[in-house]
Amino acid sequence: MHDTAVLSPSANVKGSETYRRSVLRDRLWRATLWFCGFIGFLLPVSIIGYLVVEGIHCVSWRFLVDYPKGTPLGTQGGIWPAVEGSLALASIGLLVAFPLALGGGLYLAEYGRSQRFNKIVRFLVECLAAVPSIIYGLFGYAFLVVFLKFGISLIAGGLVLALIMFPILLIATQESLRSVDDAYREMGLSLGVTRFYLVRRVLLRKAWRGIVAGIVLAVGHAVGSAAPVLFTASIYFSKGGLGLDRPVMTLPTHLYNLVSEAISFDQAFGTALVLIAGLLLFNASAMLLRRLGGGSPQ
Amino acid sequence: MTRPILSKSLYWSDAAVKALSFIALGTGVSFLLLMIVFVLRESSLGSGFGMNLYDFLVRQPWAPMATPPSHGIFHAWISTLVVTALSLGLAIPLGVGIGLFLSEVAPRWVQQVMQPALELLAGIPAVVYGFFGYVTLVRNFETWFDMPAGECLLIAGLILAVMVLPFVASTSAEAFRSVAQDLREMAYGLGVTQLYVMRRVLFRKALPGLFAAVALGLARALGETLAVLMLAGNTVAVPHSLLDRGQPLTALMATELGETVVHSAKYQALFASGFILLIVVLGINVMIWILKHRFMERSHA
Repeated sequence: MHDTAVLSPSANVKGSETYRRSVLRDRLWRATLWFCGFIGFLLPVSIIGYLVVEGIHCVSWRFLVDYPKGTPLGTQGGIWPAVEGSLALASIGLLVAFPLALGGGLYLAEYGRSQRFNKIVRFLVECLAAVPSIIYGLFGYAFLVVFLKFGISLIAGGLVLALIMFPILLIATQESLRSVDDAYREMGLSLGVTRFYLVRRVLLRKAWRGIVAGIVLAVGHAVGSAAPVLFTASIYFSKGGLGLDRPVMTLPTHLYNLVSEAISFDQAFGTALVLIAGLLLFNASAMLLRRLGGGSPQ
Repeated sequence: MTRPILSKSLYWSDAAVKALSFIALGTGVSFLLLMIVFVLRESSLGSGFGMNLYDFLVRQPWAPMATPPSHGIFHAWISTLVVTALSLGLAIPLGVGIGLFLSEVAPRWVQQVMQPALELLAGIPAVVYGFFGYVTLVRNFETWFDMPAGECLLIAGLILAVMVLPFVASTSAEAFRSVAQDLREMAYGLGVTQLYVMRRVLFRKALPGLFAAVALGLARALGETLAVLMLAGNTVAVPHSLLDRGQPLTALMATELGETVVHSAKYQALFASGFILLIVVLGINVMIWILKHRFMERSHA
């Protein structure tokens, strides 16, 4: 164990061999850690940078508002049906998942009395969040598309995305309600108001930023995932126009098709850029909201 | 309930909100159970599954077009194992290093730059990673290694490593941060180097949290679909080297489900693989939960 600087007082004298060696090792180690950190910074910057540099010339106004054209289909034209489809799917998912998650988070944070019950339910919610997205796809296909006979449709995909969003939203709601100072609760309840009044007029006003940040994260996650909508909602081509019982194009599955069928890499770069630019905007706003306070711990 | 001040209607509206929120909670959570049961039911693993589990997992090849068709998933879980091991082998040292860097070495402004950078990395969708890996690595591998088609397990593992990196990094940073400050100060007070403190104090104390970080990365890597679907090559041959093509479990499901007759033997096999994956991931999640609780209890003590 000669890597310790502390051996005996005499060995730890400045300038001694042991001292020099351990200081050198320490510096090397710190340099390694800085290197790790540098790579951690370099990876996202270079990936995003690469996609922006290669993709920026493929994106234009026409690209955003036109539908896919050319032979093979997708070599020309734009991606509007995919943008529209992704947004519609995420909106339906949010519309379904948010009330459930808000109620669930509210119950766990404010109403649930039994610690044990809360802990177990929270664990189940975390399990739901950990389920791989392809399993959601399988389940959605077997349950919604086949068993309930929804067919491959906007509504089936939206419900699957709702299932994916639910745990993220619930955890965000519970955590941001929990991070509100207990003094507010005591003060409110001592004035004789109901729990619900307290939640509505005090706690939600304190916690809404964290909840909104959760919404943005959940929507961003749902918009980007292709595996769950691959068999439940997505179609190879559409000219746009939405219907609950009709399939839609989505950005991630469109990108997947363009690449896997080797249709057009220019179009793929454009699609990828639109997708990540949209998501980054979403995530940036979530970060900003969290920075502004609201749902932050303490 | 004591309710001297509340009017009856107020009391009942509050009770209604409580009941409604309970119902919302129950509805959402019950889908976990429904999902497990339904995937199991569709797989017919409990009854009427066409073959025994050993044949399914090890002996049979995946050859749905052969006569008689066979639906073994040996090649798939081997591919999953290889890709996952490779990605974790890369992501864990680097991720723990980044975690240590963030919690111990980095100045404040660097932390403030790194945090959003890692969130950025975590926020990129899988399909974009797949695309990125395709246009950078796959094309170059074709020339570097003189391969007819560049997709292989190595590339899938590399890209997967980048994908799980932010999760490993932020979870392990959290684990290191939650080691009590007193311990650090005490150790530094003895005049030892930072390396010594990290090795002998921080690593030991943060170990359960680090295990949780590894488990989280593992669960992510096992369930990742689109990137490995696009990069691993999608062939049903059993891979023999890292430069071979393969087809991880998730890729198998994503490839085959769309063109499978509902309730056929192949359909059952796909849902059986899904069920196995689901159970493994949930098992890992139980482990994370136990570690987290043990960890929290200890750091509070």
